[in-house]
Amino acid sequence: MIGAGHAGCEAAHASARLGAKTALVTINLDLVGQMSCNPAIGGVAKGHMVREIDALGGVMGIVADRTGIQFRLLNRSRGPAVQSPRCQSDRAQYRVEMRSILEKTPGLSLQQAEVVELLIENGRVSGVELVDSRRLSARALVLTTGTFLNGLVHIGDHTFAAGRSGEMPAIRLAESVRRIGFRMGRLKTGTPPRLDARTIDFSQMERQYGDDPPVPFSFLTKRIEQPQIWCHIAYTNQQVHDSIRGNLDRSPLYSGKIEGTGPRYCPSIEDKVVKFPQKERHQLFLEPEGYDTYETYINGLSTSLPVDAQQAMLERIPGLEQVKMLRPGYAIEYDFVDPTELRANLETKRVAGLFHAGQINGTSGYEEAAGQGLVAGVNAAMHALGRESWVFTRDQGYVGVMIDDLVSRGAEEPYRMFTSRSEARLTLRMDTADRRLTETGRRLGLVQEDRFQAFRSRSAKVAAIVQAIEGVRVSVGSAVADRLADAGIGITGTTQVSALLKRPEFHVEHLRFVLPANAVEGVTDEELGVVLNDEKYAGYVSSQVEASKRAHAARKRVIPGDFDFASVSGLSAEQIEKLTLRRPETLSQAEAVSGMTPAAVNLLAVYLELGARRAARG
Amino acid sequence: MQSEMFEDTIVAVATPPGRGGIAIVRLSGRNALDIALACVPAGSRLGETPNRAVITDLVNPDLAGEILDRAVVTWFRAPKSYTGEDIVEFSVHGAPVVVDAALGVLLSLGARPATPGEFTLRAFLNGRIDLTQAEAVRDLVNAQTGHQARLAQRQLRGELSHRLQPLKERLLSLIVQLESTVEFVEDDLETESRAALVKELVSAAADLDALTASYRLGRLVADGFGVALVGRPNAGKSSLFNRLVRTERAIVTAMPGTTRDLVSEPVELEGIPVRLVDTAGLREAENEVEQIGVGRTRTAIVDADVVLVVIDGSLDSSDTVRALLDETRHATRVVALNKSDLGDPDPSLVEAIEDSGVSPVSVSALSGEGVDEVRQAVVRAIGGSADLAPSGVLVTNARHHELLTRASKGMTAASVALSAGYSEEIALVGLHESLQSLGELTGETVIEDILGRIFATFCVGK
Repeated sequence: MIGAGHAGCEAAHASARLGAKTALVTINLDLVGQMSCNPAIGGVAKGHMVREIDALGGVMGIVADRTGIQFRLLNRSRGPAVQSPRCQSDRAQYRVEMRSILEKTPGLSLQQAEVVELLIENGRVSGVELVDSRRLSARALVLTTGTFLNGLVHIGDHTFAAGRSGEMPAIRLAESVRRIGFRMGRLKTGTPPRLDARTIDFSQMERQYGDDPPVPFSFLTKRIEQPQIWCHIAYTNQQVHDSIRGNLDRSPLYSGKIEGTGPRYCPSIEDKVVKFPQKERHQLFLEPEGYDTYETYINGLSTSLPVDAQQAMLERIPGLEQVKMLRPGYAIEYDFVDPTELRANLETKRVAGLFHAGQINGTSGYEEAAGQGLVAGVNAAMHALGRESWVFTRDQGYVGVMIDDLVSRGAEEPYRMFTSRSEARLTLRMDTADRRLTETGRRLGLVQEDRFQAFRSRSAKVAAIVQAIEGVRVSVGSAVADRLADAGIGITGTTQVSALLKRPEFHVEHLRFVLPANAVEGVTDEELGVVLNDEKYAGYVSSQVEASKRAHAARKRVIPGDFDFASVSGLSAEQIEKLTLRRPETLSQAEAVSGMTPAAVNLLAVYLELGARRAARG
Repeated sequence: MQSEMFEDTIVAVATPPGRGGIAIVRLSGRNALDIALACVPAGSRLGETPNRAVITDLVNPDLAGEILDRAVVTWFRAPKSYTGEDIVEFSVHGAPVVVDAALGVLLSLGARPATPGEFTLRAFLNGRIDLTQAEAVRDLVNAQTGHQARLAQRQLRGELSHRLQPLKERLLSLIVQLESTVEFVEDDLETESRAALVKELVSAAADLDALTASYRLGRLVADGFGVALVGRPNAGKSSLFNRLVRTERAIVTAMPGTTRDLVSEPVELEGIPVRLVDTAGLREAENEVEQIGVGRTRTAIVDADVVLVVIDGSLDSSDTVRALLDETRHATRVVALNKSDLGDPDPSLVEAIEDSGVSPVSVSALSGEGVDEVRQAVVRAIGGSADLAPSGVLVTNARHHELLTRASKGMTAASVALSAGYSEEIALVGLHESLQSLGELTGETVIEDILGRIFATFCVGK
């Protein structure tokens, strides 16, 4: 495993758990699991992925639960499918906790070293060469280079090579990757300045509290015990915007120095001011970096302006008049490899045994990285152990949606997960991640006994509640009906409880009114929620599931690796070229290749069938 | 054994289009038998023995079992069928209205209109036909492409897509609003209120419905609408017919009962193809020949899409008018009050007409005065509520109709969910379904496009 960010950590842990002898090699062992940007885990769709990683036996959820200093369940007022946990983390503690878990993982060794060369023999991975010319041999490699691959930091017109600000970049490794012949590109991301809390006047800002009680990420976390802090909300104003506009000519974003594509959903403050000139103010979140530091992260103010311009802009924000900047914000450009170079198991098509995960695949975000890391780690171990590779499918969860999107469509800008990327959003709830994945995790060898027992117990309780609800009715005039009426849930005549559940105003606490006390005893709100949420979506899910099933059936048709697209007479030269370049693995991936028409897909289906029949005849 | 290759069940008319004696409607796929059983009465022998023809009623399960036709239905069990899947073939009477109704029922039960050549493609992919020659296969698919290209030229690049584009834009804006609130809950976005979204949704759905309603119209356009001129003898039907046709096609004399046979002529009214049918006058027949003529007139009334009732404003009594209007009461009607050149009609006549819920159009077939108004009234009657302005679009294709219906259903479901206080992601199920259906007509919109719009509309990025 090359790199110990969120992808590398998850990959190393998964690989070792599967029984493969695993080494995690990183440039700096003190920065294992470092959060390069926002000290936060989760968010809409991202929190879902943390749950999926957790349900499979991954580590991110547990580490986040142990080191979170403010938890908030997002979209609380909306339906269960779009609710998602998020937490602010203690950046330093997160690293410590992650490293501690990895150190205790049997079969996993951590090593500080810089990898400069991937060793490949006959199209297969054989190991790596380190900067001091030592060689490590390996049957499989997972490459998780983050922003380090040819990393270039921009602050104003000042540029310097770095992996993150203050850290060594991976230059020779980038050369080695390029020599393999991958299609590569440049992406860009940015981060805001860090401030000294003692120089901030919080009285001019709104306080933002976390949830009480906090909703954890991991299915194994019973409750969050550590003390919770609060964040603050501040706003920019016209003076701030004027100051930014006055310095735009010194921004590398606008001078043309930055070539890489940045994420549109995470624009720099320069971009926000230029692209939305009519917006009078932009919201900023001031987030403590941890218990033991005054360092404060100012979310929403990512910038690559020169340091003096950053200071000038900050001082115009109410509450920051006297602020002292501890670290300036910066933009960073880095190399990535076109993810259509990958198979669905995240192995490269060009080199057997070489897997890519995280930002090298054109994604952004810790959770996106971790999800890929887990899949790459599992498959690297499978490869090394000679076992069959594993594909996380779209209908199993957001991690599967992400991987399928990446390997079939590529990445034009840093890819972030959104719930709308799934065609079956209602079925991918955070409270069903275990139901979707824990048995798979068990089969893979990732899920250990304690988690599996907890899963079985939870499933049994959920099943019992489903049974308890069946046939229960509520009649007008009964004590139960009166209590419901008091809660704003009116009933006429006699109503099945199962029908009541579908009402938008019916919540978990009401389920406790209508069921016999012995049925709900020892059952948590979250477990009751699973039943309630299933029922609320039942009618809507069926049509989504149908669509998803159709998609899955079409996706099944596999295109052999040595398939000669040029042999399909009837495809246009352009189609043949694109297909040959992209090497889709399934018919649906072929369909996603630009320029493919329905007729061309039909043609391809016909030829695949012809090929299969010829093969069957021998 | 069922083939696992295809999830859905397809349907198409297997006989050439037009008025044949018998039309065969073919259903193929894993649900073919289930769908077929849902539209025959319980107790029919369908499904008992494969390959055996069963004579049974064909009913519409949605309309309390309304009988559509008496049909011969044969079930071919997978894999021993043409396509290798379960096939059910319905031999129905060839009248387009019957064939359409049968297709409509099968579609509503979950079948999907087959694309050109799809049965053959399935047969091939399921191993039922052996096409080892790759060239032949390519020709097969290319033939499809040619057909699809022609269809695309005629319909997709044409008015329908053009007309749908603004609707799709509105739908996308709605999706962008709702998706933004779900995905970017931490950003302070200025999204529209729920009430405003519901209002816009209802309005967009109504526009879509207007378009969908033109389907019957569009379907008929292909064959031409039947417009029958009906009236008492010598009321001036043939004169008006000639005025509308602008030729001396029908024999016009002052003798009552001249038109004993049906005279029909294809014409274009305001750009819409119409089969104009002149009929024998309705009265107690004086001889056998005339009696046949009157019988045919009655058939023409039933067959017509619109009946143009011609009344002699100078001669007909209110009783005869009432009888005439009663005779045509089931038809969509336009009432022409002819012979306006002979002075104003008796008020009791007008009253009798208006009692039946129709406003008469005053016309003189002799002078030509009022003929344009009659033409317009007929066109309006053909269109029903559909917008038939020059920019109006007719939906002529069953697949298009089905997609529009699905799109409209999605929008309606979404507006119901939003107004009932359900969360955004539920409303979005309907909206995405709707978008997907429209996308099949106008080109697909992928999630990246939606995200792109969100980023262009709102300043997101905590």
